[in-house]
Formats: sequence, C-alpha cells, structure tokens
Amino acid sequence: MDNNRMGLPMKLLVSILFLYLLTPVILVFPLSFSDDQTLAFPPSSWSLRWYRAIFGDGRMMDAFITSLGLATVVTLLSIVVALPASYAIVRFPSKVTNALFNLLTAPLLLPTIVLGLGILIVFASLGVMGSFSGLVMAHMTVTLPYALRVLTTFLTGLNLTVEEAAATLGARPMVVFRRITLPAMTPGLIAATALCFLVSFDEVVITLFLAGPRMTTLPVELYHRVEMQPDPLVASVSALIIGLTLAVVLIVDRSLGLNKTFVK
Amino acid sequence: MPSDQPSPSRTAGTGVPLHLRGLTKKYQDFVGVDNLNLDIQGGELVALLGPSGCGKTTTLRMVAGLIPVTSGEILVGGRDVTSTPTYQRDMGLVFQSYALFPHMTIAQNVAFGLEMRGIGKDEIKARVRDALRMVHLEGKEDRKPTQLSGGQQQRVALARALVVRPSILLLDEPLSNLDAKLRDEMRREIREIQQKTGITALFVTHDQVEALAMCDKIVVMQAGKLMQAGTPREIYEAPANPFVASFVGRANRLTARGDGSGRYGLSGVEIRGSAGISGNVTMMIRPHRITINDPAAAGENGLSGRLTEVTYVGDLVQLEVASGDQTIMVERSTRSQEALPTIGESVSLNWSAADTMVFSEDAP
Repeated sequence: MDNNRMGLPMKLLVSILFLYLLTPVILVFPLSFSDDQTLAFPPSSWSLRWYRAIFGDGRMMDAFITSLGLATVVTLLSIVVALPASYAIVRFPSKVTNALFNLLTAPLLLPTIVLGLGILIVFASLGVMGSFSGLVMAHMTVTLPYALRVLTTFLTGLNLTVEEAAATLGARPMVVFRRITLPAMTPGLIAATALCFLVSFDEVVITLFLAGPRMTTLPVELYHRVEMQPDPLVASVSALIIGLTLAVVLIVDRSLGLNKTFVK
Repeated sequence: MPSDQPSPSRTAGTGVPLHLRGLTKKYQDFVGVDNLNLDIQGGELVALLGPSGCGKTTTLRMVAGLIPVTSGEILVGGRDVTSTPTYQRDMGLVFQSYALFPHMTIAQNVAFGLEMRGIGKDEIKARVRDALRMVHLEGKEDRKPTQLSGGQQQRVALARALVVRPSILLLDEPLSNLDAKLRDEMRREIREIQQKTGITALFVTHDQVEALAMCDKIVVMQAGKLMQAGTPREIYEAPANPFVASFVGRANRLTARGDGSGRYGLSGVEIRGSAGISGNVTMMIRPHRITINDPAAAGENGLSGRLTEVTYVGDLVQLEVASGDQTIMVERSTRSQEALPTIGESVSLNWSAADTMVFSEDAP
C-alpha cells in the first residue's frame, strides 16, 4: 500500500477505518496488565499477575500446546496436499483438475457453522470426536482452500517458459520441479504456510463442535473462559495470541515483503 | 572435452543439418502447421518469418520438443528426434521473455545445462567464464537476472543456450522485447556468434528487417503453410506470391488483365510485366522502384495520375497517386533536392517491366 499517493480525505478515511477495526484489539493490551479480579476498563491498578496466571493454568497451557501442535500438523499436511494439487491444476488444466480445484476450495463458500455441523455429524458416526486426528481433518477443510488458492495464484504467475528453458537444457521433469519450480515458488509457499498456520491456530467455530473435555484448543478454551469466569486472564492470553500472529506476519514481511507475498 | 578449449568451439560450417518432413500440427478446430517440409544445411541461420498465428512459433516448439507433433518427422543430423523428449534433444532455446532462472545468479544460470550433463566443476567454471566472455558479460557472474538490463538478460540466455554446445540453436523472437537501438546491436552480435560457432540456427521472427539482415535463408509462412523459402535477395526480388511480396517489404497491389504475352491492361494503359499470364492478374510494384515526374525516366511503364497525399516519414516521403480507379504509393528519398509536386497536381509515374511483379489472381 502506498500511503504517499493518497489525498488527505482518503488518508483521514483510512485512519478512521483502522481505528474502528483496531480499537478493540488495542484495548486488550491495557486490560491484560490489570490487577483487578474482573474485566473492567480502565483497570484500577496494574500488574503482571494475569500473565503469571496463564502459566499456572494447566487447562490453558494444555490448550495452547494443542493449538500449536495442531496448527503445525495442519499446515504441513495442507502444503503437502496443496503443492502437487496446485501444480496439476495450473500446469495440466483439464476438466478433471478444474473439478479438483472446485472441490478443494468449496468449503470456503460454505458458512463455517454449517461446515462444523456437517463435520460433527460425520465424525460422530466415525468416532473421531474430540481426537487430535479428527481436529486435523476438520481444520484441513478450511486451510486447504487457502493453501490451494495462494499456490495456484502464485504458480499461474510463474513463467512457464522458465521450466521449458530448463527442459531444453537437459533437465528431466522431476529435476525441473525440484531445481526450478520449487525454488521459484518459495514466496508462495511461505505465504501459504503462514496463512494456514494462522487460520488453523485461530479456528473457533468448527473446533467448538468437535472439541471435548479431553482435548480443546486455545481459542475454544478462551471462549469457554469468557463465558464462565471473565477475568483479565483472557486479555493476557489474547495479547499473547496477537503477539504470535504479529510475529508470523513480521517473519513473512522480513523474508519476502508482505505486499509481494499476499497481494500479488 | 578439455577445459582449456575456448567455448563453444564449433568451427563455421560444422553445424548439424536439420530436416523437417511433412511436419504437421493439428488442433481441435484448426491446423497450426500444415505439412511443412524444410531442409536446413549445417551452420545456416534460417528465419521463420510470418505474421502472428502463422505457425512459426508452433514449428519451433515442435522442433524443441515442447509440443507434440501430429504427424511428420524432425531429423537432426539424419537422426529422427520426433519422439525424443525435450531434455534429450540437445537443442539450445532462447526465448522472447529471456526465461532466466530468477532464483539463480548469472553464473548458475549458465552452468545449469552443464550440470545436467554431469560435467565436472572445474570444466563448468571454465566454460561458464568463456561463455560469458563471448557475450561480453564478464564480471556479472554473481548478479541476479533482475539486476541486469533486458539486453544483458538476453545475452545471458544466449550464453546459457550455447554453453552446452547444442546441435541446433532455436531463437524465438529473441529481440522483440528490446528497444530499437539495442535490437540492431543484438542482431549483429547474435549473427556474429552464430557464424563463429558455426551452429545451425532457426530464428523465429515477425520482423522482416531482422530476417533480411541476419539470415542465410528466409522461410515465409502464412496460416500454417510454407509460402516461400529462399535467400533474403530471392524473397525480396522474386517473391513467389503477393503475400510474400507485401509481407517482406512494401508493395503496391493492383489488379490488371493480361493477354499471355507479358502485356497487361491497367486502367486502360498498357503495362509490361515480368511474366506472361493471361486473364485477371495481381500486379505488385515496390513503391521505391517508381519514379515520379522524372524527365529522364527510363522505365518501360508509365502512368499518369493525380497526387492525393504526401506523408513525410524521415528518410522517405510517401506519395499517394490516384490513377483511374487505382491508388499507387510512391516512395522518394528525402535526399532528393527536387521540389515535390503539390497535392492535386497531375503527375507522371515511371517504372521498369522487371519491377512489375505479376501473379495470377488466385495466388495467396
């Protein structure tokens, strides 16, 4: 985004929009340093006690570990599936690959609540409710479309002649993919990885249907906590989640440039 | 091959001949290349010339193995490579878009083909250095492609294609992305390198000047068919049909009637032509071979008309003359000091019978 080229009214409008969008998020930070027993703004005194409380809270820590592991596994599997799929879809366009693309991206079009309910019904009969593998499968229905979209868009922009040039120089198809296509796709892969990770880590609706007392994720645990006992702990956990998200975005930005990766 | 040899080290004339036999590419609803026969001698630079969609790039891509052939044969040095996969065809290809590997340095780009051939590190290093010297890019080894200008990138592409000493060099509109001045320079450079290495080369272009200036032979294509193959001089001086006459160089296209003895009726005037065809004919005359109001005009053919338009294009003035129901374009060098006739004035045109190209009216 090029702020310099905007006129003053546009700048003002953008600032108001950003303020509107970000105020609730920014408010989380002062709240997380509260010394009060309940969520109230402004806090009457300040402390780090709710940050310390997180580490003493076994349920919250378990949920965090689960979320981290889940997001990692989901991201890896999504990329492993989406990379060859996107290659086939872009490089060998046909009715079959077109149908594959539509099938894999369809979940994006469905309301998440409907998707969650559908998955609940199927999983209940399969007996994978509240299990890690169940959550992995459920999350992948949402992350795969993102991974596939990012990678196909990126591959479409990649110059096919570069692969052809490698072939004329004596590279077999697998060598072309490994030496030319894959390295050239690195920015797209990083973008897809970051997106999958964040989407999975942040997923609430579908997870709500599937998580049980044995296994829950951080956002779901947070949601229950707000319902049961809304203390500033939820604010300090939220602040940490925002920090993690920013870290991921920053890594992408530093290694590739955010605009280049996501807006393309 | 020993690494102390300069690379590429083919000497002129040692290139491999390339033969296309009945090469055809059919798509669902049209024919891209229609029964193309072509014989290219070793060491020749041959242009495939034609408007876009004429099948020239399709032909080149079939030769490279990038698209499958519907029927016909491709013979490289007598060996049938029609069904050989691209990576075993041993062809160097230079693309219009350069197609350099963006994530590799210039040296890595040039070394890629050598690596694929399993050549040792030391020899790769030496050959990459020689190849970059050949295209005047010493010292740019560690740059990335995006750090070079278009002309430099195309020179890297040329070095990358030639360093593996391919049997055939294929060039797909390599100069079309460059500006006019650079194009002239690269044209000369490519020709020089091609002659020095003696490699057989196929050059796809839609630019007649490029084809005329660079190539040993020109193959003019239209709608998937071969229109004419010959030396630049043959193509320009003796075009096989009106399409070639108007695609290579400019030409007036007039309709006349012939009596079979070389005399033609054009707007009620008798014109002498280069062939004896009877019935309706297409008559083609190059605009710069016609003189206007020249008292010493030597040509057998004369026509009078009225000047309707004058366009100044720098080194030339283009004059449009209406004669009867025909419009004739005349070109005069701006070097001439004589005053131009004014618009609306009556003028006389003269040209020779040898410059009057005549084709039967159903020629393409």
